[in-house]
Order: sequence, then structure tokens, then C-alpha cells
Amino acid sequence: MSRFSSHYLDTRLDIFAGRLIGYPRLVAFIEQPLERIMAELAGPRPGREAFDLSRAGRVEAQLMQHALEDIHILIRPFSGSERRFFFFAMRWFELANLKVLIRGKFSGAAREEIEQQLVDLGSFTDLPLTRLLETDDPFEMLRLLETTAYAGIVRQARRVYEEQGHDLFLLDATIDRVFFIDLTQRAQFLQSQDAEFVGRVMSEVLDRFNLLWLLRYRFAYGLSAAKSFYLLTATGRKLRSVELMRLARLETVEEVIASLPAPYRERLEGLQVIADMETVMEYHALTVASDMLQRKSNLLAGCFAYILLREAEVRFLQALIKGKLLDFDPALIRQAVGAGT
Amino acid sequence: MLTTPLAMKKVSLYMVDADAQRAATVLAGMAAMHPIEAPEEDSELNEYPATSFYRVYHDLESRFNKIMGYHQEPLVPPVPSSEIVHLDQLQALDEGLKDLWIRVSDVEEQLRRQHESTGAIRQLSNSLRKFSSLDLDLGRLRRRGRFLRIFVGTVPSANYDQLKRALSLTSFIAKSFYTSEGLDHLVVFGASEEDEDVQDVLDSADFRGISVPDEFKGSPAQLQSDLDRQIGEADAVVAQLEQSVDAMLASERQTLQRAQELLYRARPYARLASVLRGRGGLVNLQGWVPARRVQQLREQLRQELRFPLHIEISDPEFDEFAEVPTLLPGSALLRPFQGLVKTFGLPGYREVDPTGAFALSYILMFGMMFGDIGHGAVIALAGLLLWKRYPAAAIIAMLAGLSSTVFGFIYGSLFGYEHVIEPLWMSPMEDPVLVLVLAVVWGAGFLLFANLLSIRNLLAQGQTEAALLGGRGLAGLLFYLAACYAAYQAFASGKVGWMESTLVALPFASIVALQWRHSSGPRFERIMVVFIEGLEHVISNVSGTLSFLRVAAFSLNHIALAAAVFAIAGMLDSVGHVLTVILGNIFIIVLEGAIVAIQCLRLEYYEGFSRFFTGKGRAFEPLELET
Repeated sequence: MSRFSSHYLDTRLDIFAGRLIGYPRLVAFIEQPLERIMAELAGPRPGREAFDLSRAGRVEAQLMQHALEDIHILIRPFSGSERRFFFFAMRWFELANLKVLIRGKFSGAAREEIEQQLVDLGSFTDLPLTRLLETDDPFEMLRLLETTAYAGIVRQARRVYEEQGHDLFLLDATIDRVFFIDLTQRAQFLQSQDAEFVGRVMSEVLDRFNLLWLLRYRFAYGLSAAKSFYLLTATGRKLRSVELMRLARLETVEEVIASLPAPYRERLEGLQVIADMETVMEYHALTVASDMLQRKSNLLAGCFAYILLREAEVRFLQALIKGKLLDFDPALIRQAVGAGT
Repeated sequence: MLTTPLAMKKVSLYMVDADAQRAATVLAGMAAMHPIEAPEEDSELNEYPATSFYRVYHDLESRFNKIMGYHQEPLVPPVPSSEIVHLDQLQALDEGLKDLWIRVSDVEEQLRRQHESTGAIRQLSNSLRKFSSLDLDLGRLRRRGRFLRIFVGTVPSANYDQLKRALSLTSFIAKSFYTSEGLDHLVVFGASEEDEDVQDVLDSADFRGISVPDEFKGSPAQLQSDLDRQIGEADAVVAQLEQSVDAMLASERQTLQRAQELLYRARPYARLASVLRGRGGLVNLQGWVPARRVQQLREQLRQELRFPLHIEISDPEFDEFAEVPTLLPGSALLRPFQGLVKTFGLPGYREVDPTGAFALSYILMFGMMFGDIGHGAVIALAGLLLWKRYPAAAIIAMLAGLSSTVFGFIYGSLFGYEHVIEPLWMSPMEDPVLVLVLAVVWGAGFLLFANLLSIRNLLAQGQTEAALLGGRGLAGLLFYLAACYAAYQAFASGKVGWMESTLVALPFASIVALQWRHSSGPRFERIMVVFIEGLEHVISNVSGTLSFLRVAAFSLNHIALAAAVFAIAGMLDSVGHVLTVILGNIFIIVLEGAIVAIQCLRLEYYEGFSRFFTGKGRAFEPLELET
């Protein structure tokens, strides 16, 4: 990247980072009326379409659209392996659409119902959504998916789905698992310094995925230690293969938590429900990403951290606004967005 | 030479819902209406009555297209018909095609599985060839020992490491003995008591085990022949499945033929689903129709529709100009050049269609830059040969070739020989300075013409102020003329007097003043913007004019290239000489011809079109019958 691009990107990242809402403010939104939240979200953003509160789905789509526009601006100056890394990372958003499609088709949902849940990813769209929606059965859709860039992911997902008693939850996990393995491989093509910093942020995400799925496979699905370990993704820095293999052999959730490395053990001690643990682990991963963004040690890692934080922010706001529009009690919303843990 | 897009009328049709499909068929048959959505203020007709029809049509079309992807024999093309298609007809047919497609899709899924397992057998067969010389009883692999369990097979190489680590949590050991084509061939062995858990892990890792038949007892070579038999059987199953699809579709040929006909007839009405508005049995359709076809359209509709029809016809309003579609007139001769104009952009409804002027100036400049009787004749002949396959390119090549030939006579050039025939004027090499001066004069004329077109377009778009006072308007034209005069005076007498200076300064002041009026922001920023824009205006006029020096440069270059070819040929014997002259001429025709063609296009686009042409027109896309 040229010096000019690097200064430009630095400034851009500063501006975008400054616009992130931050967890405490997001949590404070739960108690506020929707109009005030929307006024704060709109802010002084020239050229941006105003939020349309008439339909819940529309606001959610707009939040995502705004985030994607910003991310697109941010990653535009990158080229070569850096650009390929970011565009691959952006597939995370499209995987949500992929899961919606697979779930919808296997559960026999109507086309309109599936269509409503899909997110418009603009220039990041790779899936032939219209053709996929027009398929008449899930296997026809899977065959079509096997002709797309997601062929590898879909093949593995199909295998797990067929072998594991048609469990859609496991199918989702497999999709995520293959994505993280591929993303980790792409990160290896980055320049060593960039790879090191990106790895620090990614490590937290991978540890979270591996720990939580290890707990689910072992104690919710009752899978063997070997199979549970096999189904995990690329490893992070605190929970490497050796640690995960050791954890997989343990017989209770409490034993696993007690055997975790210090930072995770301290955070998860006393928690019983896996969903609560997921919230805590995500908060931890986002804190690391936020530190990386503020410390400005590495531009590429900063951009990656921004994408993680922005995605989490959009997810939080989508759940919050949906709750507000449906007139849910703040306590219920707090629980739904995981702010009660 | 200069035309404008065809005049359009806005036509609004009010009719009974029952007649809407018939009207769509008539309109599609005439291909005369570009449908548009009625403006929001017509809120009384706020329903879209063709929506449900469109949905069923769309599903049917999608299934039909999917099935036709498997159908080998083409269907009989549909014939136009005024018979309308009812929703229940479409629905019934859609149900039929859905059933058919589910059966086809089911076979397709079986095929996929079959291909997958055949692929696995082939891979195993390939790996087994490596061990065909060993004398081992592979039947032992199938038998479950009391204490020991052995698995032999393949996994994708990407899964091997994780599998190996996972198996280390059991008593089993995995060992890869051969790697090829992204697969690891491995043997896994361990205590029998854990084999179910291990099998589970192996399944997740996409492990494909060698399946040894129950009756099998023998060496790798014997197993190889069994695998070959399995592959043969699998191929037979694939062929059988493929035949079953063919048979299924052949038995439903009549249904498919019927579906094609219904889709053909239903398509025009379905295409109107997003623009046809209505309420309580009354529907409205709006669209743009070429003025000269309005009467014919009115008569045809009155004749074909069963119920009364109300038609409102109006001229486009000033604020609608941007929305009116562009339909360019044009002879068959100009159509290929229209393609080149459209590459830059389509003229807006009120803009001048520059195709005629573009064609003339392009052909003239090509001739000026590539004047040679022989080369021109070859290009024209090549155009003639391309006529059947690429008619548009052929017309351009023939005209360019003819122009080149005409200029060849003017320059007295034949296949690079400059003294074989007497020039009608002179060879460019005789007085290069004069040729350069003439090129600049041509360029100045070109730019002035572009400026005149710009004034005309601005006036047509209601931008009177810009047409009179702006850089692309009358002030710009006067500035350019005055600058040309001042430059001429400077060359002729060596000085620029107060009169020339005043003539240049006055229109320039108008241009700058207009820019100042339209700029915004703090004073310093406005000064900077106006200064830079004023400077840009001067530079673009100077560089635009000098850009035409390439017209002269290429005519000189043409002779220089030929001279180089003759210089090389002169050093060789008679055969070498002839060959060099022939190959050199081919080189000149192909390479220089292509470069000149591109340079002419560059001059047209950047020095011509960008000065007067927005290219923001919307294409006229009529509703029409499509197969």
C-alpha cells in the first residue's frame, strides 16, 4: 500500500472508529424510546437515506446496508492478498444468507418467508439468490450451491447434515467451521507483521468458537471426545490443539471451565448456561478487537477489528430495534441481546 | 446529417381489466410502447392487478427453463395468437411442471450420489494399482477381529491432520501411505472396542473406505478387478438414470410444448405486472410511443379490444425529458456507427443525435490519417468478405477503406509507393508543416462544430444561461474564435493587440462570472474553484486543438513506415524484396490500421462527444413478443 493510501486509510479508520457506538451506550439504548435511538443513530451523515421505521425488516436491512457501505469504503484501498483476505472475511455476512436459505429450504418455508430474511449485501453478494430461491427442493438448492464459491463449505455441510440426523444447528456450525479454517489459511498469505496482528484478533474469535462448540458437542449432543475435537475449527492462541484435546477428554462442563487458561476461566467461572458463556466470550473477543482498533498498532488488523465490532453493533441494534418495534419489555430485550450476563 | 431522437408521445390507456391481457398482446405485437410506471399521484388506481398472474407465470417459466436444460430435442416455435391465457391454465400447467421437475430433480440427485460414489471407487482403484504386485489377503480387512480393527481408504488431504489428532484421543492410529490429487490414502487401526466411535469420526472426515465384498478373499490384483467391475456397474447405473430422464421428458413433450406456447402468449401481460395499475375492474397502462405510430396503435387497440377503451395522448412535459426514452432514426448505413456512439452513451431525448456527423468525420479522418489506394482497397475488400458474418463491422471497414483509397489518390500513394501515380494534391511528406497546419485548422473546425452542438443541446434542455454565458455555450464559442484569431495574429504579425486581447477577455469574463455564480462555499474556496476551472477551460481548448495534430502525424507516419519497409526490402535479393514488401504492407494495414481506427475514435469521444453530449439517454425498450 502506498504512503498516501496508508494515510488516507488511517484517517478513514479513525473517522469510522469514532462513529462506533460502544457497548455501554448500546446497553443504555435498551431503556430509551425508539425515536430517540433512531435520532441518535441517524446523526449527521450526509447523503444517507433516513431510517424507515414503518417496517422492522427495513430498518434492519438499512443498518446492515450502512455498515456494508462503510466497510466497502474502508477496504477499497487494499490490493493483492490483503484485499482478497478482506473480501473473503466479508463472506461472513453472506454465510448468514446461506444459512437462511438452507434452513428455509429444509424446513419447507415459503419463498417469500425466506426472501424476507435475506440481507441485501450489495456489491458483496456472490450467491445467485434469485435462482436459489426458485429451487423446488433443498437438494436442488444444494446442487446449485455446489456450483458457487461456497461449494466446499456446502459439500461438508451436506455431509454433516446427512450423517448427523438432519440437525440444522450442526449444519450451521459446520458452515462456520469451514469458513474459519479457510479464513485462517488466507491470513497466512498476509505479510508477516499484518498476519501477526490480525492473528491476535482472530485468535479470540477462534477460541470462542472452539470452546463453545466443544461444550455443545460433548455435553449437549453427547458426541465422543474424538468426534467433538474433530468438528472444531482452526485453533486460536490460548486454546491450541493440545489444550482442546485435553478439554475434550473431560467429563463435565465444570471440569472444562476449571481447566481453561486463566483469562477464560476467570470470566466463565460460575456460569451454567452455554448461551451466557457465549455472550461473555464474545464480549471478551470484542474488547480485544476494540483495543486493537484504539492502539493503532497495525492498519490491517485495525480494519479487521472494525469489521468485527461493526458487525456486532449491527447485530445488537437489529435485535434491539426489533424488540422495541414489537413493544417488548426492556428486560426481555436485555436478555435477547445478551446484555444481562 | 444531424437528427434528433424520434418524437415521443405519452400514451395513457384506460381499459377494463378483462381486456388488459389482450391489449398487452396487441402492444407486444406492434413493439411500439415503452411501458412506464404511472406517477404516485395517480393514487386512485393503487392496485397491481397482474401481480398474481406474474407470480404464477414466473414460477412456470422458471420450471420450464430448468426442465428445458435437460431436454435435448428442440420444441416447435410458438406462433402468435390473440387468444388470452387464463390464470387457472397457468396454475394447472405449473402444477404439472412442478411434478415433472421434482421427478427430474430426484433423478438428478441420484445421479449426483452415483457420481460421488463412482468417483470414490475410481480413486480407490487408482490407489490400489500401487499395491497390485503384493500378495496379501485383503479379505482380512473386511473381517472384524476380536481385538484389532483395520480401516483402509482415503480422506481429503485438508482433513488428514485434524483427523490424526482426533484419533489420538482414541486407541486408534492413522497412517497415510500415499498422497495424490488432494487425497490421502491411509490405514487406520486400533482396538475393536472403540470402532463405532472411530467410524463416526472417519465419516465426519469424509473417509471413503475400500469396500471388500463378503465373498472376497484374495490379493490386491483380484480386488482391483472387483473394483473395475463396480465401476462398470456404476457407469451402467448412471447411463440408466440419464436415459430415464430422457424418457421422462419425451413422454411429457406435449406438456412442454403447451407450456412454451402459454408462456409465449402470457409473457407480454406478465411483463406489465409492475406497471399496470388498477382498481375495481379498471386498469391503466402508461408508456411512451413514437409519435408516428400513435394513430396506428390507437386503431389496432380499438379493433382488437372487446370493451370500450379510453386513450389519453400528450406531449412530454419539460420536466419529463430526462425520462423519455430515446429511439434513434437512422439508415442501415448509419446503424453500425450508432453502435459506436452508444458505446459512449445514448443521446438524451432532446439532444442531437451525432451519429451522422460522427460517421462522416470518422471516415474522413481515417482517410486523412491512412491515405493509400492499395491499403484502402484491401480494407474495403476485407469489409466485403466480413459482410455476412459481421455486417456492422463490414460497413465501417468498407467506408473507411474507400475513404483511405480516395485520400490515397489525393496523396498519390499506392501500397506505400509515393511516386507511382501522380497525386491529386501532394504527398504529405512534401510539405509536412502545411499538413500540420491543416490538421490544426481541421481540429479547430471540429471543436467549433462541437461547441455549436453544445449550444443547441443546452437550449433544448432549457439551460439558456449556460447556452449563452457558459464555457460550453456562446461565450465559449466566442472565446475560442477570438483565441484562434489572436493566435493567428500572433503568428502573422508577431504581436497581439488590444483588440484581440479584449475579444478574448470579454467572453472569458462571462465564463468566469457564471462559474462564480454557481460556486458555493467560503470566498477563498470559491476563488480557487473559479480560478482552477477557468484555467482548465483554457487548457482544454488548447490541448483539444493540438490533439488534432495527430491527424497530420499519422499521415506522415504512414509514409515513414512504408519507407522503412522499402529500406529493409532494398537490402534483400529479389524474392526477399517481394516478400518483405508484401509482409511489410500487411503489417502496416493490420497494425497501423488498427491504431488509426482507435485514434479516430479517441478524437471523436474526447474532443467531440465530451463537449456537447451527456450520453444519459434511456433506450427505448418496447414491450414485444419474445420467444
